[in-house]
Amino acid sequence: MVAAPRTQRATIVDGERVTEVDVRVDTDTVFLAAGEFTRATGWTLKPEGLCRDDACFPVRDRSAVVADDDTISLRGAADVLGRPLALEADPPVAVLGEAPAAVGAALASGRAPNFALPDLDGGTIELDDYAGRKRMIFAWSSW
Amino acid sequence: MALDEDVDAVRQWARDEPPTPLTYPVLVDRDHLVAELYGIVNVPTTIWIDEDGRIVRPVSIAPADNKFQEFTKIDAEVHNDALRAWVRDGVAPLDEDAVRARLDAPSFEVQQARAERRLAMHLVRSGHAEAGERHLAIALRLAPDDWTIHRGSMPLRGKDPFGQEFFDFYESWEAAGRPGYGS
Repeated sequence: MVAAPRTQRATIVDGERVTEVDVRVDTDTVFLAAGEFTRATGWTLKPEGLCRDDACFPVRDRSAVVADDDTISLRGAADVLGRPLALEADPPVAVLGEAPAAVGAALASGRAPNFALPDLDGGTIELDDYAGRKRMIFAWSSW
Repeated sequence: MALDEDVDAVRQWARDEPPTPLTYPVLVDRDHLVAELYGIVNVPTTIWIDEDGRIVRPVSIAPADNKFQEFTKIDAEVHNDALRAWVRDGVAPLDEDAVRARLDAPSFEVQQARAERRLAMHLVRSGHAEAGERHLAIALRLAPDDWTIHRGSMPLRGKDPFGQEFFDFYESWEAAGRPGYGS
């Protein structure tokens, strides 16, 4: 009789999305069920590859992304998407960063990418709330 | 846009300190998502966006006044005069080629550093300081010129941004020619 691999509760951080999922921790990666991977990242593994909306990244080496038990390797998926992955095993926390290509594409048009951030009064402000006006983003800090 | 973990500190600077109320929105970018999107690696940084949403002045270090000019070696009035000329008379601060040259994609190392920083802050915030310090060390190694990583993490990690550790870093940074502190 083979014992089922032990799963742990992990936190996956992807931009503004922070999700608690069950994972199997392995060397330099975590494995999670396909549905959980989609819930945590918004990406879905299809025959065409890793897809979100109309975009698909082909998976050239399926074994680097999908384990024998059909769970998905977060590291393998991050590599396909060209995204950095910062991973801590204990406690299990994974941060998926932005791909250089995605950041470059957002800026390459020369247009300021929209964003939404909280203000000090509990509201949310978007850059595009001020479309049609000159704007200055002034980044500062208490440090 | 405050790159701060501590909203109370932001409120203190934006609400309690100014002699007259600020008339513009004060936002908090705790996770540095917008900072990373625009390539901000230090504060204070300014980015100018025109009526059509075009970035007319990408990331520039811009102290608002000359209180710390001894350290910044930047005359705040140069930026402020240029800002007034742009707002009042539409004078563009840079030509299109100069703007485009500053809108490059970041390297993979920089993006990895940013992910490690976010992981480190999450771990420290949730009570795992030792694990957090390990990942911060990785971030610092990958992006040594990013002040939002080393100085930006100091308050949460219980370190004084105006203390000896920072001044030691400042001296070595200055000896290296002040990398990343362009106009």
